[in-house]
Amino acid sequence: MSDILDRMQNVFRDVLDEDGLVLRPEMTAADVETWDSLSHINLIDAIEREFKVRFTIAEVASLMSVGDLEALVEKKRAPKT
Amino acid sequence: MSYTSVSFLVFLGFAACLYRRCPASWRPALVLILSYAFYLTWVPVAALLLAALTLLTFFLARASGIGGRLALAMTVFLVACLAAFKIALLFPARGLAGLIMPLGISYYTFKLISYLLDVHWGKIAPEPSIIRFAAYVSFFPQIVAGPIQRPSDFFSQLGSDQGSLADALPRIAWGFTKKLLIADNLAPTVNYVYAHVTGLQSIPLWMAFYLYPLQLYADFSGLTDIAIGTGRLFGVNGPENFNRPFTASTITEYWRRWHMSLVTWLGDYVFTPLRMATRTAGKLGLAFSITVNMVAISLWHGLTSGFLLFGFLHSVYLVAEAFTARWRSKFFKRHPAWNTPGRFLGCLLTFHLVAFALVFFRSPRVSDAFWFLQHLTTGWSNVSAVVGSMLSQISARKLGIALVGYVVLELGERYRPDLWVRNLRMSAPRSIRWSFYFAATVTLAFGFSLLVLQGSQAQSPFIYEIF
Repeated sequence: MSDILDRMQNVFRDVLDEDGLVLRPEMTAADVETWDSLSHINLIDAIEREFKVRFTIAEVASLMSVGDLEALVEKKRAPKT
Repeated sequence: MSYTSVSFLVFLGFAACLYRRCPASWRPALVLILSYAFYLTWVPVAALLLAALTLLTFFLARASGIGGRLALAMTVFLVACLAAFKIALLFPARGLAGLIMPLGISYYTFKLISYLLDVHWGKIAPEPSIIRFAAYVSFFPQIVAGPIQRPSDFFSQLGSDQGSLADALPRIAWGFTKKLLIADNLAPTVNYVYAHVTGLQSIPLWMAFYLYPLQLYADFSGLTDIAIGTGRLFGVNGPENFNRPFTASTITEYWRRWHMSLVTWLGDYVFTPLRMATRTAGKLGLAFSITVNMVAISLWHGLTSGFLLFGFLHSVYLVAEAFTARWRSKFFKRHPAWNTPGRFLGCLLTFHLVAFALVFFRSPRVSDAFWFLQHLTTGWSNVSAVVGSMLSQISARKLGIALVGYVVLELGERYRPDLWVRNLRMSAPRSIRWSFYFAATVTLAFGFSLLVLQGSQAQSPFIYEIF
């Protein structure tokens, strides 16, 4: 598991209140019962705080899976050239 | 051509045979032709609107591309179009009587919007084939009342396989059973109470209070079962719309289990963008986003004060739950012994809150809903006379059949015998499998004739057909 995914997993466990949750990149909201549109924004908020990044509405809207979110975090954290 | 009519079954049989014989590359075109043929049997002129909006969306999305403004403009236009028809429904006497609601407009408009926004946000590439796109928008198993399938999910399945009778037919049969055996047998009682509401008190009102949620669930989820099963005959597995909603122990969970394709649609295209835009406003932003979302859900059903109050009540429930979520989670972690009783009480409370809001949803006028709620606890002195006169108007036998049927429905959805049968089917030798198919076909044919015969006197249209 990548470092980003590992830290994301801790955030997910905390926000969704699911201590045994194991994140996989292909996972979507449909796979986790407590992951609905209400908790989704709490997740986004918590991920932003954890990685000190900021997402736009369009970026969040285009996310389809955990892998997409991981890629987005990675892109945002990459040093700008 | 209603889904429960014999002519629909004949059409479906003919269409499924054609589809199975059709070369794979022609399947999308065949699905499109069948869908328009089905649509034309309702109100032919409405097909022009469907075709025009489909073409307009298809070309504008292509021209607009990722981040383009045209897609957003078209989205606004589609919402305005939908709102205009819903407003026109409110004034049947003002020369707009001829303007009837085009069948399925609430559903296909949402499909068009999700396509436009998905292209706009770069979630999907514009679909290159107009035939496949038009088949998505007009797909006849889903056009009457959903489920609202997302474009990428539909396109990945369209034409890719020849459909599965074994997956489709039991689901269709289950839907017919829910509709004809349960919903249609609950309807007389509920309809009687709501037609005479201002003359009734106590027990009859309580009966309608408890029975209407069951009727609505059996009716709408039955319609969805028929839609999903029918889609499978044409190789398309639609999204699930219900997941045993009355087992929910909170209103938040209820909305994860009820009309799921609409709720996740609004979650993705209304709530999430709105919540992103208002998140600096803290709890106020949360309450605002929830209220807008629930009001959007209620007004999608129609622009009446009853629907509006229904949506407003649910937003109050949801805001209260969102504000107490942390506290409740801490409480149950500290007192694990309360988990099971808490869940049970939560289910009871959730069902009552849902039934309470549905009084506004079902009442012909808001004043009737207030009468209904105020008189639940009055008039107990002559209760036997009232119940006696009501039972003489409705059939107690029908009510009995419906209630037994409802218990079977809940048990069936809890224990899923269809999945056992499926596993057995996969592993059994050929002779056993074919005997099973034969027995199932005879049972289905026999059961269906019984259902049609006993339901034929008072078959009512599906509740969600009119939205």
